[in-house]
Amino acid sequence: MAETAPALVLCVPSKGRLQENAHAFFARAGLDVVRARGARDYRGRLAQVPGVEIAFLSASEIVAQLAAGTAHLGVTGEDLVRESVPDADTRLALLTPLGFGHANVVVAVPQAWIDVATMADLEDVAGAFHARRGERMRVATKYVNLTRRFFAEAGVSDYRIVESLGATEGAPAAGQAELIVDITTTGATLQANALKILDDGVMLHSQANLVAALRANWSPQAREAARIILSRIAAEELARTTRELEATGLTQASKVAADASANFNASSLVHSATEITFSVPSGKATALADWLVGQGAARVTIRAHQAVFSADNPLAEALFRHLA
Amino acid sequence: MRSGLNGKVRAHALQALFIEAGYAGCEPPILQPANAFLDHAGEDLRGRLLLTADGVGEELCLRPELTIPACREWLAQGSPESGQISCAGPVFRQRQAGPVEFYQAGLENFGRTDHQAADAEVLALVLGAVGKISKVPLHVTFGDAALFQHFVEGMGLPLAWRRRILRGHRAGKRLRDITDALTPGDTVDHSGVLAALEGADRAGARALVEDLLAIAGIASVGGRSANEIADRFLEQAGLRASGPFPREKQTWLEEFLQIGGEPDQALSDMRRLATVADIDLEADFASFETRLGFFSAHGLDVAALNFSAAFTRPLDYYTGFMFEAHETSTEHKNPVLGGGRYDHLMARLSGGRTIPALGAAVWVERLSGGVHG
Repeated sequence: MAETAPALVLCVPSKGRLQENAHAFFARAGLDVVRARGARDYRGRLAQVPGVEIAFLSASEIVAQLAAGTAHLGVTGEDLVRESVPDADTRLALLTPLGFGHANVVVAVPQAWIDVATMADLEDVAGAFHARRGERMRVATKYVNLTRRFFAEAGVSDYRIVESLGATEGAPAAGQAELIVDITTTGATLQANALKILDDGVMLHSQANLVAALRANWSPQAREAARIILSRIAAEELARTTRELEATGLTQASKVAADASANFNASSLVHSATEITFSVPSGKATALADWLVGQGAARVTIRAHQAVFSADNPLAEALFRHLA
Repeated sequence: MRSGLNGKVRAHALQALFIEAGYAGCEPPILQPANAFLDHAGEDLRGRLLLTADGVGEELCLRPELTIPACREWLAQGSPESGQISCAGPVFRQRQAGPVEFYQAGLENFGRTDHQAADAEVLALVLGAVGKISKVPLHVTFGDAALFQHFVEGMGLPLAWRRRILRGHRAGKRLRDITDALTPGDTVDHSGVLAALEGADRAGARALVEDLLAIAGIASVGGRSANEIADRFLEQAGLRASGPFPREKQTWLEEFLQIGGEPDQALSDMRRLATVADIDLEADFASFETRLGFFSAHGLDVAALNFSAAFTRPLDYYTGFMFEAHETSTEHKNPVLGGGRYDHLMARLSGGRTIPALGAAVWVERLSGGVHG
């Protein structure tokens, strides 16, 4: 086949919730992920941006490809980046969190350890355990590096890591380890396995991130493709995080606009003495609406945006700054 | 990624001198089970190991040092009552700076019951050998893990405090930070349980813990027994009853750890402090004096050695004499050689046998003098 090599490779999770969320995310950004020859193929393209190849990979494989520089952009969990790339800052740039795939990497011990609530307790217990048995406490985890760093910072040294590649939460009950470090979204699985999270045992608040590979081949074509993708993602992000308010029936529109910008971080366009359109962070939209009614507005409507394109492209600028 | 030929030549030149002194050559495998090191040094070492695995998934590493491989080799060969072996060859560590593969030379001395004589012999031998391949003068510092341990044990402190002081000191924490540390568990208010347990016996404490678990509906304990949890509550109840760390003992510990310098002067400083604190360390002091005598007998200038009561390593298998030496002329903050007595390591590697052991290792790449002076 005489296809030209793609200018830019974008890695997208190939399985499960992360895949669905990632596809939905790109769709919201007006980027349709197209599988070339049906759902089983592991390569695809973006309908709207030429020169882009999509690689469907597991989340951990995405990190490996980005770290090696064989792909340019990818969607993956921050937990995997921090765990598997020791010199992440020189190889990768976390461009933006994507608002899905939230999970925490935590230290969990058996609920029966009623005398253990903090890492300081754990340090004390680990020392006594080692002294009493001549063996170190075992920690089951797939996050070997994160665990080592976190435990070192907490001053816990009397432990051994038992690598676990699945069903880590079952390791203490199975007698394979005394405690675990694992990723959890609700903590329900831990609870079901009679484990509890230590008070200061949250190692990382992770979520899916858009990650750029700093060592990839960033040709002018790759940069242009990245600029288009990132401007759409930024537009989606801005749409997701802002709301439009339209207020009518006001009496002193310009004074109200000035007060709103000071109190609600809202930008405004004053159409007339009675009518204003605001753009406001989504968390403040309803409060601003209430306030506007209090200021005499006859009617306030709140709208969600589809996409908000702005002249600056903060994500692309961040990427190009990292590459410079 | 490897240190130069110079390292190899020097390491083997040193080993030749050790063999000449009666330390038979030994070639332990480069590939070792990772557990042999992680079990003794802890997970912190993992980041510095070059790890791999065999076909069935056992974790292996390239040897990061020579002592544990040499001990394993000696034990595997049937380990007679006593023995003297030497090694030279590459070791492997992930490091911020410097090659991953570099050379060391070392010697190990097993089974000698005349500890002080063996201590002095090993120190004199390694200093003499290094002196033959590098003419840069060395500054020697030594310590004694048993002295501080016995001083702490002689103070009549609760076991929990003793354990934390000794562990904290090994981990390089300042004494003030160790003793100031909150009683673990203070962040969660267990004062009701602890008050109930004050003066309780072990059986009572265990019954209480089992009741608490039953009330909470927790069936599986996992890892630690109800006894262990009860013991820790009892220990904390004891600490709670004994109040803050006694100021007087804090001062004695601080004074002890500051003792250092010329060995005879340091010994008399320690004697004076032991008398003030009413701790009987005469056996340790006698052994210290005997060792100094053997230093002289081996031609070492005792007054030029530096003793440090605070000398420690973050490894709990050192049981007594420990030493290291730096080049006086360079800015190197790392020692060019180090060693010590590690009876606990042999007990663990041999499955509980009592085998007195000590050794020394030379970081040949850190020596700045030429190969033949």
